[in-house]
Order: sequence, then structure tokens, then C-alpha cells
Amino acid sequence: MRFVLRRLLLFVVALLAISVAVFAMLRVLPGDVAAVMAGVNSPPERVAQLRAELGLDRPLAVQYLDWCANLLHGDLGASMLTGRSVSEQVGVRASITFPLITLGLLVALVIGIPLGCAATLARGHRARAAYRLVSIVGGAIPALWSGMLLILLFGRGVGLIGVLPSQGFPAAGWGAPVQALTSLVLPALSVGIIVGAGLMRYTRSALGELAASGYIEMAMSCGMTRTQAVRQVGLRLAMPQMVSVVGLTFAEMITGVMVIENLFALPGLGTGLVTDVGNRDLIAVQGELFMLAAFFLLIGLLVDLAHRALDPRLKASIGGNEVSA
Amino acid sequence: MAEQPGAHGRTGATSSPTAPASPTNEASTDASLNARVKTPHRRPWAWIAVAAVAVVAVVIGIIAIVNRPATQQAGRRDTVTIGLKLAPTNLDIRNQSGSALDQILIGNVYEGLVARDENNQVVPALAASWEESADGLTYTFHLNEGMSFSNGDELNADDVVWSIQELVGKQYHDASSLTNFGSITAVDPNTVELRLSAPNSNLLWTLAGRCGLVFDQDAEYDMKTEAIGSGPYLVSEFRANDSITLKANPNYWGEHRAATETVVVRYFTDDNAAVNALASGDVQVLAPISENLAGQFADDPDHYTVQAGDGTDKYVLAFNGAGEHTSDPRIRQAIRYAIDHEELIASRGGADAPLGGPIPSLDPGYEDLTDLYPHDVDKALELMAEAGYGPDNPLTLRLEYSNTYGTDLGDQLRSQLAQIGIDLQVEVVEFSTWLQDVYTNKDYDLSLVDHNESHDFYQWADPEYYYNYDNPEVQSLYAQALAATDDAARDDLLRQAARMVSEDAPADWLFNYRITTAWVNGVEGFPVNLNQTQLPLWNLAYESE
Repeated sequence: MRFVLRRLLLFVVALLAISVAVFAMLRVLPGDVAAVMAGVNSPPERVAQLRAELGLDRPLAVQYLDWCANLLHGDLGASMLTGRSVSEQVGVRASITFPLITLGLLVALVIGIPLGCAATLARGHRARAAYRLVSIVGGAIPALWSGMLLILLFGRGVGLIGVLPSQGFPAAGWGAPVQALTSLVLPALSVGIIVGAGLMRYTRSALGELAASGYIEMAMSCGMTRTQAVRQVGLRLAMPQMVSVVGLTFAEMITGVMVIENLFALPGLGTGLVTDVGNRDLIAVQGELFMLAAFFLLIGLLVDLAHRALDPRLKASIGGNEVSA
Repeated sequence: MAEQPGAHGRTGATSSPTAPASPTNEASTDASLNARVKTPHRRPWAWIAVAAVAVVAVVIGIIAIVNRPATQQAGRRDTVTIGLKLAPTNLDIRNQSGSALDQILIGNVYEGLVARDENNQVVPALAASWEESADGLTYTFHLNEGMSFSNGDELNADDVVWSIQELVGKQYHDASSLTNFGSITAVDPNTVELRLSAPNSNLLWTLAGRCGLVFDQDAEYDMKTEAIGSGPYLVSEFRANDSITLKANPNYWGEHRAATETVVVRYFTDDNAAVNALASGDVQVLAPISENLAGQFADDPDHYTVQAGDGTDKYVLAFNGAGEHTSDPRIRQAIRYAIDHEELIASRGGADAPLGGPIPSLDPGYEDLTDLYPHDVDKALELMAEAGYGPDNPLTLRLEYSNTYGTDLGDQLRSQLAQIGIDLQVEVVEFSTWLQDVYTNKDYDLSLVDHNESHDFYQWADPEYYYNYDNPEVQSLYAQALAATDDAARDDLLRQAARMVSEDAPADWLFNYRITTAWVNGVEGFPVNLNQTQLPLWNLAYESE
């Protein structure tokens, strides 16, 4: 319990620090939203007028406190440019990005963990080298390239076996679940292959360490074959470590899939963030980064909790202090 | 398994003592034991792989069936989807700059007193006709009868007066281009009188843009997310930076009734995604299509039409008139001689037109000025030598431009200018940064931007503009052109001024960007000229074969 409380406290402090940092960084960037609104044909007076209308001419501290006050009411404000509430805007975009990441991660798990196990179990030089090659090549492919390759293979209208939509998200959103899902298949595959190669390496090294530490041999001496030992004992022991890796990967992918979102013309979180930063839409960027940061921290918290649930040794340790296994 | 293993979890304690307990050693028990263990399939992975392939094949099959193109019957479609590039962030056409809004809203959703046709000439819109007084100071507009907004409200002279008074009073976007505005009054419900303090030969043209738009003074709505106008379409859905859905306006009053019930506009930042959308039939029209990617459609005339249209996009490579080195006319001229425009145009696919001065072919006062500074590296070298520089003693200049134009242009300019002893440092930045550095602070040597507006010669007559170009003669000629009450006289004055600007070499006009549009055969009525600044869609229809 103490552990959870401590983590929550840290969570709040980190969020505060992040909000100040984001706010300060955005003011340092050259240009502002008023200049973007006014464009290249407006006299300087027009920019000044817009700045006043948007409240950008007030002291920085006042602007920040104003934003914080709204935040306490759970209101992230409205975007200066689109005039819509930031939370609603993030929600719409997250409804594309999160399913995409989840699917991508599923693909990655399906590819990465079995291959990682197989690589650990592989005997003989050639087999090992082959697995290493797969993991290196998989990890080295740029997401953009694998995406384009997949489009050339499966993209409807352009691909060899053109069966899958290669750009856009249905206008009805998840109201048309089949179309929505199929429009995410190719992007999820292109992300999944790369992330999967990373997971394969993690799995192999985690299992390799365990194998070296003797658990596997212990299990084998109890009558399991090596394969059984790796799968039943090794994987279970590697679980906590894998959970952290998967959790962090998930968090990283939120912005990491931006290239893919662009390639497949999906209006997701990453593209939205870049557009808003480009437009200097401060309120929107602040809200978006704040939510992302909160999400990162939340994942960290969940990973820690999952760790404790999966690894009984942590609970058994005295006084709730963390012990490195 | 709860116990803590030692540093080396010795297996030797339980396994056969005869086996060396090295951790890397595998299955160290003796062969007979190994043999007695229930050996599962030796190669489970092979089976898994076969199963996986089977599952994938089935999934692809199902998806293919679900996604197979619905067998559309030949005939008129009631929905047409078009793909564009620059997306609006909001719909507030009174405050938000950018031609993306003019493009989609003017003529479709909002209407002005007058409009522009595809040759950039002024034509009637809300005003059926107008008269100009002999002194050029009074314009009388006769409005159409029985006009209404999409919400059913009547549109009359009061709305026109209110809209223009608001524009001037609140200094909405572009209000400054309504030069010499005096007053506007409603004579009767169908007649409006606009007075100027001094003649403005651009007035009608200006009123065809944002300045002449008429809004409903009784309607209350959020202009950023909604639009209530009098045009043939209304905005039924708007997703910022992504798409706009237009539906035919049931209350439309005029002759330009929408030919297609629903037009969906999708915006693509990625050129490849846009091309894929056209190839897969998700969009029926694409404008612009990158000329270098248009080949696959141009090669398939049975199914697609690809056509380049005229426009007023000028790629202006500006030389800071107050810059340390660029204030030297020899250096500016040398740069103009050194640039190989044909090469630039060819590398972009060849559709763009060369442009030798500030006025493009669709604007009044155009004249072919490309022979003023022909590509001549020797001449450029001479001028550079006079200014004290050369390939052995290069001059370092900085070029700053926005990342929306890609990096190719910067690289090409860099290598072309290297030949005459200019070491061009290319900085590709975000648009907002460019706005701050170049447009606002005028802190630059060279800048590149696509000035796509029409009738924008005023930039060269305003010494405060970011070019830092100050030529009193040009300013006086432009003032005379504005004051001219006769179009021919105005065009002649503009022509003289444009020639003078080009001779001074305050910039190089790299090319006149011509938009390439591609569409599926069967699409009719999509404008090809000027379609990035105005895109009247009422006539758009798609009849599939």
C-alpha cells in the first residue's frame, strides 16, 4: 500500500514538473499562433490584434496559472485554432492511434516471443546465425520502408494482391468496425514487424540469461526436456522483465507510429501533435503533451504493479522494499 | 522456485555427477534418460508456421471478400470524393489566413458580391450587375432577388452592408487590401452603394475574395467549426486537418445548384498516400498531384485524365534588400544569372512555367520577362568578381525556407550557386519559424516562399514588406495603377512597374507553379485552373462507366 501511495505522489509531482517544462519550452519556440493565423499578407497590427484576442499578450505566469486553474476542473481548454476542446480532439485521434498500437503490439508479440524462444533453443551455428540475422534485419528496416513494401504487396488498387485499404480511416470511424479494422491491418503489420524484431531480441537475451543462471538446468534435471523447460520455466521467469519491455514499447509507440500514420493517411495522435506544434497552437500542444505524459507515467505505474503481481519474490521481500531478483 | 538462487545456481547438485556442470552444456543427462523422456514433436515450429500461413491466408481471403469493391451500377453517383493537400485547421474565414479556406469555402459555402472565373476575371455572384461612376469613386451593386442563406434567412442589402462594415471595423483578415474604402450603404433591399476615398482599380477583384463575402448577421454560430453561407453547398461535417463533407444546400437560391448531393474533401499530407487513394478509387479527383508521381495515371488514359492548369503561384526566391551582401545589386543579379530555371522545372516534372517577374500570366500587367536574366554563368562570374568574390573566394549566404517545400529545391540552388562562388547555407525550418525570422524580423539573406495569391503586386510597392525593397518609382507607378479608372491604362502601368522590379533583381522568380490535377474518367466539371485558391464545385459530377 505504501508503495502505491509513494508512486502516486511521485506521479503528481512529475505531472506538475512536466506541465511547467512544456509551458516554458513552447514559449521559447520562435513564432506564435497569432502570426500563423495572420499569414503572409497581414500587417503587423493585425498580428498584434490577434495576440490580444487570444490572450497571448498577458504575462506568462498569468497564462500558466489560468491554464492550471482550468486543469483542476478537469478542463484542458479549447484549441486556439480549431476552437474545439482539447480532450475531445485527443479522444478522436486516440481512437485511431490506440487500436493501431494495440494491434501492432499484438503482431509484435506473436512474432517476437516465439522467435525469441526458438532462437534460444536453436542448436548449431547456422540456426543461431539465421535467427540473429532475422532479428537484426527486422530491427534495421525503417518503418516507412516496410510500410511502403506492404502497400506495394497488399494495398488495394496498387498492390500485387491488392486486398487491403492502404490509406485513410473510414469516415464513420468505429461505427463501421470491419472497415475500420481492415484499414489498420497494414499499418499494424508494418509497425508490428519492427517492434517484433526488438521483442525477439529481448526475449532471447532474457531467456539466455536465465538459461545461464541455472533455472533451466534445474528444471531439466527434474525431468523436463530443454524445450519444455524454456517454455514453462524460462518464459515464466522472464515474464516480469518482458512486461516492462512491452509496457515501455507501448508508450513509445504512441508517438513512434507517427511516420506510419502519415504514410497511411491516418489522422492519429502523432500527426496531430506535429501539426499543432507547427501551428504553435499552444493550448492544444500543452494539453496533448500533458495527457501523453500522464499516460506514460500511468503505464510505468501499471508495469511496476504488474511486476509485483507476477513476481512473488518481490512481495515476499521484507517491508515492501524492492529487491532486485 | 521462491528461493534466491546463489550466484551460480549449481545444477551439479542434482544432475548426474558425471556430467560436467557447465551452464552452456545442454541436456547433460545420459542418452538413455533423454530417450525415455516423452519427446514431443521434434519440430513444433514447422507445424506452427504451416498453421500461421493457413490462418493468414484465410484472414486475407475473408478481408478480400469483405472489402471487394461494391459492384456499383453505372450511372450518376450522388457522392464524389476529392483529394486535396493543404488542410484548413478551422473554418473561420474572417480570421484564419491560408488559401485552403478560400479554396473550399468561397463559391461553395460562402458567396461574395462578385466572384472570379477560371481565367481570373470578375463575374457576377450575389450582385447581378454593377456600375462604376466616371470618377471611379462610387460603385453601385444591384443584388439578385430572393436570395437566402442555408439556414433559411433572407439575404439582402443589409447583410452585405453589415458584412463589409464588420470586416473594416474589426479589421478581419485581408481587410487591409480594401484600399481607400470610404463607406457602404444600402440604398434599398436590393441595391448597395460603396464609396471610395480615392479610386482603387483592384476593388472589384478584391471583393471577389474574402473582403466581399456576405455573412448572415442574424445567425449565431461558431465560425471555427460551422459555416452558414448562401452558396450551393453547406458544411455537414468538418474534421480539422483531415476532411470536410459538403452537402447540397436545400435552401440554395441561385443558378449554380449542386450537381452532386455530397462532396467529401479529404486532405493528404503524404503525396504517396494521395496517389494510392486515387489508384484504389477512394478518391475520384486529386489536386494537386505531384507531377513526378502522375506518370502512372498519365500512362493510363483509358481510366484517368491528367491535366496541368494555370495558376498564380510564384516561387519567390527573395534577396534581403537590406542584407549585408544582398544589398549589393551585383550579387543579386549574379544569382539571377546563375540560376538554371529550366533545370529546376525539369526536375519537378516539367509542368511549371518559367517566370521572369513578379506578375504571373493570369494577373493584369503580365509580360514575359524571362529574357531579362537568362541563364548565363559567365556573366554571373563576372559580376561576382566585380563584387570581390569568386569560386576561390566564396561568399557565404544563408537561405531559409519552410519545410513544406521539401529539401530538393534548396539542394539544387546550392549546387547551382556553388558554380559562381556562393556557398549557400540552406536552412529548412518550420513555417512558424520562417514567419518569425523572415517575415516578421526580416533577418535573412535569401528566402524562398510560394506566394500563391493573385493581384499581390502591392508587396513590391510596400517598403515595409519583408523583401526590404524600396523603389519610389515602382511605388509611384503602382499608386497610379490603383488610381487608374481605365483597365488598359492600369495594366500598362503595372507592366512598367513589374519590369522595373525585375530589372532591380530584388528576388528571383524560380517558376510559376502550375497545379497538376488527375481524375478518374467520368468526372466532369472539376476546375483545373487556379484550383488551389478557388474551387467552385457546384458543377462537379461523376458518371461511372
